Amino acid sequence: MIQLKEISFSYNDKPLIRGLNLQFEVGKLTCLLGSSGCGKSTILRLIAGLEVPSTGAVYIDNKLVAKDRKNITMVSKRSIGFIFQELALWPHMTAYQNVAFGLQEQKKTDVKEKVLEILAFFGLSEYIDNYPNEMSGGQKQLLAIARSLVLQPKVLLMDEPLSNLDVKLKHKILGYIKKLKNEFDLTIVYVTHDHKEAFAIADQVVLMNEGRVIEQGTTEEIVGSANEFVKEFIEY
Amino acid sequence: MVRKLVHNELFIIGFAAFFIFAVLPVIYTISITFFNFQSVWANLQELNISTFLLLLKSILLSAFVAFLATTIGSVLAFVLYKTTIRYSSFFKILLLLPLFISPYILAVAWKEGFFLMFGSTLVLASYWGVIIVFISIYTPLSMLIVGNALVNISSEIEDSALLMTSKRHVVLKIVIPLIKPALITSFILIFIFSISEFSVPSYFAVKVFTTEIFTQFSAFYNYSLAILQSVLLVLLCLFLLFAERKYIANAPFLAIGNKGVVFKLYTIEKQKVLLYSILVLWLFVSIFLPLTILVAQSFSGGAMYLVQAINLIKPTILNSFFLAFVSSIIVVFIGFTAAYYNSEHHLIKLAKYFDLLLLFIFAIPSIIFGISLIFFYNQAALSMIYTSYAILIIAFVGKFSFIASKLISNSLKQIPVSLDEAAQIQSIGFYKRLQMLILPLLLPAFFASFVISFIFIVGELGLSIMIYPPGAEIMSVKVYTIMANAPHGLSSAMSLIVFLITLGIIPFFYLLVRPMLNKYHLSK
Repeated sequence: MIQLKEISFSYNDKPLIRGLNLQFEVGKLTCLLGSSGCGKSTILRLIAGLEVPSTGAVYIDNKLVAKDRKNITMVSKRSIGFIFQELALWPHMTAYQNVAFGLQEQKKTDVKEKVLEILAFFGLSEYIDNYPNEMSGGQKQLLAIARSLVLQPKVLLMDEPLSNLDVKLKHKILGYIKKLKNEFDLTIVYVTHDHKEAFAIADQVVLMNEGRVIEQGTTEEIVGSANEFVKEFIEY
Repeated sequence: MVRKLVHNELFIIGFAAFFIFAVLPVIYTISITFFNFQSVWANLQELNISTFLLLLKSILLSAFVAFLATTIGSVLAFVLYKTTIRYSSFFKILLLLPLFISPYILAVAWKEGFFLMFGSTLVLASYWGVIIVFISIYTPLSMLIVGNALVNISSEIEDSALLMTSKRHVVLKIVIPLIKPALITSFILIFIFSISEFSVPSYFAVKVFTTEIFTQFSAFYNYSLAILQSVLLVLLCLFLLFAERKYIANAPFLAIGNKGVVFKLYTIEKQKVLLYSILVLWLFVSIFLPLTILVAQSFSGGAMYLVQAINLIKPTILNSFFLAFVSSIIVVFIGFTAAYYNSEHHLIKLAKYFDLLLLFIFAIPSIIFGISLIFFYNQAALSMIYTSYAILIIAFVGKFSFIASKLISNSLKQIPVSLDEAAQIQSIGFYKRLQMLILPLLLPAFFASFVISFIFIVGELGLSIMIYPPGAEIMSVKVYTIMANAPHGLSSAMSLIVFLITLGIIPFFYLLVRPMLNKYHLSK
């Protein structure tokens, strides 16, 4: 379980998140929903340790990992996978090297086995020597997911990962993500501003505005909410 | 009816003028030398082992300078562009200053400094003197190139690696490979600049390949041997440029503002003291120390040396400023035509070669460009150019148009194509679009190109000393020729004045152009 307790975060003295309390259940896919600049991506970065909270604490599996401007557990030790909006595939490395990069402390033979296995799982076996710019949008998307999952993280954070894909591909990959959650027993936190996308895959939806949680619950609970902001947000 | 989207009159004027006035002399000089087979054969025999040993020495010296300057510049760039260190803008501005100071001014400062501290300048009158001055001049260039590459790495690229491994490993395996083109470019450009530089080795009386060419040309009047030696240097420079031609030709580091890439900043806590110490130490060595020495020496005879220096420099200031003003305006025009039409090269095929010609003239050593201009224009039919300031204007335009074209081109890339397209759809003509859209949006780039060209031209020496017409008085040449035999205090005072003039130019022009920048809301 991931817990955020009384989290506040400011950027350039501008408060982005104020006194936020949230928890994400193990094995569930939670969507953070909200318009641009509401602080949803910042929450992912706080969980990953890429930002530190100005005040408040972050717990992963009941272990304190960050508190009051201090990262207690290093970013690379949190066992977290992160899919960035722009995917952040390393352009100077092949598909194989991108996936293998995080496994450097393991034996070479084990690395090869693991990389080939996960690339095969995502149907990317024939692209192992391709550089990211030689791959299609969908293939790059799958490669980014493969790169994160090869480290067998317990938590997968996804920051609007499908925003650059066409509708057909988006649906295909959304299906993949659902399947992955069950197969790898993952806790997924998925950020989007598209409520239809959120409703299509989420076990739990958290609707945010200006750094605060407005409403949270299942898709049905959100759709049935009497809150004016929620009604307006999902109307369009 | 086909509506013409881009008119090519401006391109024809810019391209033809640059080709005829600046490129043709180089082609002419090299071809004339090589068509005279007898002289080529005789001179080839003169290219003996000592010539090649001298070339090798120059190569080693330049490689050493390029390596050290790139290393120090990269460290400074990392500290200033990639960490949360405070006052980074202040440090960046100060550390970039040596780039805008004529190399010989720094040479004077170091020589005077050694004289003050040790009572002798023997150590400096050697390769070490040249190395010290070159490193202090070219380190900021490396800092600029590497810093620009660092801020163009999206933070996500580094964040995604930080989730898996340590910072050290991320820097080694992700950041350094991604900035490799910038590191190589920095090395190559600094190598070319140092192997081509003439004033510093000449001031320290150190024999390098460029001083040898100059001696053959001006002391022995052995033009064909000088040109043959020049060709060796040109080939070396072109070979190096060819290795990284795409990156260097695009010169992404010559840009104003950035394209809005969100880049990663590393927080510094434990290393804070160490990093500040590095910055302050380099600032002290590269700026504070030379400047203090110049000031101290200038006042060593009370106000006498300063008054003398002002009297000596005064008659040259107006000439130098006039030359720099006219040349900089032409530089901006050539830079704009090259940049604009290169962005539309699908319409005018020749446009991309314009860019390469600018790079070619920029990269060949000044001494060679100077010899070519003398050779070409020293003919009865062209004596009007040879004996007037026109030859200097041609030289400056040839030398500095590449920088302007890159500054303008990189700004042009930041203007969305849709802005121009929206006007095209409304049937607004080419010149109207240029006047109302493109030119106002490029104003900051024009301003930067103009000021940078102006500063470089005012301080330029390598070309000016070779081609200045008889009777002409220009600041850099006057200072350089007088200070060879002047007392220490006087040469320091002259150098200090040139330095202060260079510093004063930027705010002066900014105040002049600010109303226009404000009009288009471009001043920030």
